[in-house]
Amino acid sequence: MIAVSGVTKAYQDGAVRRQVLRGVDLVVARGETAAIVGPSGSGKSTLLNILGALDTPDAGSVRVDGVDLTASRPSALAGFRNRSLGFVFQFHQLLPDFTALENVMMPGRIAGRPTSSLSAQALALLDQVGLADRAGAFPQQLSGGERQRIAICRALVLEPAVLLADEPTGNLDSRSGEQVLELLDTLRRRRDTTMVLVTHNPEVAKRCGAVLRLDGGSLAPG
Amino acid sequence: MGFVWHIAVRYFRSTRADAHIRALSTLTAGGLAVGTAALVLALAALAGFQNLLLEDLARHTPALQIEFGRGAAVEGAAATEGARDLAELAAATNGVAGVQELLYARGWLADDDRPLAVEVLGYEKAPPPWIPVQPEATPRLIVPVSVALRMGLAVGDMVRVVSPRPGLTPVGPRPRARMLPVDLIYRSDRAEDTDDPVLLPLEQASALFARGDRRLDLTLAPDADPEEIGDFLRRGIDPAVATVTTWRQANRALLFVLRLEKGLVFSAVALIVAVASFALLAALSMVLSSKRAEVGVLAAMGAPPARLRRVFLLLGALLSVGGAGLGGAAGAGLAALLDRYRVISTPSDVYVVDYVPFLVRGTDVLVVLAVTVLFTAAAAVIGARKASLLHPVEAMRSART
Repeated sequence: MIAVSGVTKAYQDGAVRRQVLRGVDLVVARGETAAIVGPSGSGKSTLLNILGALDTPDAGSVRVDGVDLTASRPSALAGFRNRSLGFVFQFHQLLPDFTALENVMMPGRIAGRPTSSLSAQALALLDQVGLADRAGAFPQQLSGGERQRIAICRALVLEPAVLLADEPTGNLDSRSGEQVLELLDTLRRRRDTTMVLVTHNPEVAKRCGAVLRLDGGSLAPG
Repeated sequence: MGFVWHIAVRYFRSTRADAHIRALSTLTAGGLAVGTAALVLALAALAGFQNLLLEDLARHTPALQIEFGRGAAVEGAAATEGARDLAELAAATNGVAGVQELLYARGWLADDDRPLAVEVLGYEKAPPPWIPVQPEATPRLIVPVSVALRMGLAVGDMVRVVSPRPGLTPVGPRPRARMLPVDLIYRSDRAEDTDDPVLLPLEQASALFARGDRRLDLTLAPDADPEEIGDFLRRGIDPAVATVTTWRQANRALLFVLRLEKGLVFSAVALIVAVASFALLAALSMVLSSKRAEVGVLAAMGAPPARLRRVFLLLGALLSVGGAGLGGAAGAGLAALLDRYRVISTPSDVYVVDYVPFLVRGTDVLVVLAVTVLFTAAAAVIGARKASLLHPVEAMRSART
């Protein structure tokens, strides 16, 4: 499902070239969950962005859901992200000009799905996370936990093969964080979704099938 | 509503929420409204004046004219015969409604005191249409008011018409002259009336001014095309004998100046639209700046760059179409009112009319709107391109920093 081999990535930071990833190898089978842990600045988000076709590696190969991301054109990668990937970001990243329901529907609208069936699907998801009555609310009218639950619904509305979550509970209190993790786990199991989760919280990592530590640009069992 | 419309319309609504973006988008719409209204008004005023000028020109210039060249027999019976042959050829041409032979020359009018140099025009059948004469009247000597004033002439006064071509008499060569009564004094409606000619029937003009320039003026049927008939006649006339000129060719320099004037005024006033387009670019840049993270999220969710570009192109259109449409309509409406009620007056002793005429032409309004679309599209394309080039990760990161 996810196969990463020999991935390297460096950033130019002024006059200094910072090597963030040094030959990362990673395999996550279908339906499995993997947590990537490590200190801040270790390259966790960079690796997640590469897995999500939002960034390109300097070297190595990345195959996700059968697609070679390093050999695909940007327009094809956009379609792949819409079709096969779901993203949950640390700062929910909901669109403030759209209601909760419209936010959840957004990936489907990008895909050109019919609005009526998409709306029903999005409402069903909101119902599953207990936010059906908040469908018409705008993000600024919602609490942090509610926003993150809506972001999860948005990530799962097109039933992607892979879910990528970057510190999904990093901005929440422990109770809201727990709720979000429960929700992620339940919805993921229901759809047999592969998930890669980036966190620096060991408690969150423990809930995943595999824990991998990224340190010094290399990945090792955590 | 598709994805592009959905996002663009919502972003358009959101421009009302932010004070800075609202001010800029209002400036954009207002600027475009003022620019298009000014363009429509300026073109309507120009078209009004130019239309009057062209109508005046049409009254004074035949649709087609045939001028005799150097190779033609220029004098006496041969010239008359040659002109008559060409007149018959022209009259038989399809689309030609009438042919009038004219003779232009320079001579003098002389009374008891002194001679006055004048332009003389010999006419066939009836005076040209710009001479205000009753249809049943057959005047012989028609004098412009400028000449009548200078010589103190009144209708019925006798005056001598003198030709520079001498005639041989037993006492030697003497200028040819004929004493004629003034039958009519006319006032030309042209602004510049110092060159208005003295008119004589063709037979008398030919007898006095045999070396004058002969010309055939052709009147065409209402639906006839001067260019087409001109081409047809040129094929049948030896260019060494005579040349065929359409009214457009005869007034080529003036028409060029009119076009140039219109182009220059249009370019100058279009600068307002150009400045408003810069405001549009600024407004779009501000929207993009405030929506940077959201555009990044949309890209992360799989919105391709081309569709993000279309979102901002549509947003540019939404921000500008209202102002441009309103300005175009306001300009056209105002021009119609100004023309109907003759609001702006002009000194009648300087201009042909005593008010500023406005003529709104559909093509002019369309050109104004097309230019506005062009300017705003150029501004929107720049803004939209910036949106499509955003890197999703960088864009989302910018929201947190």
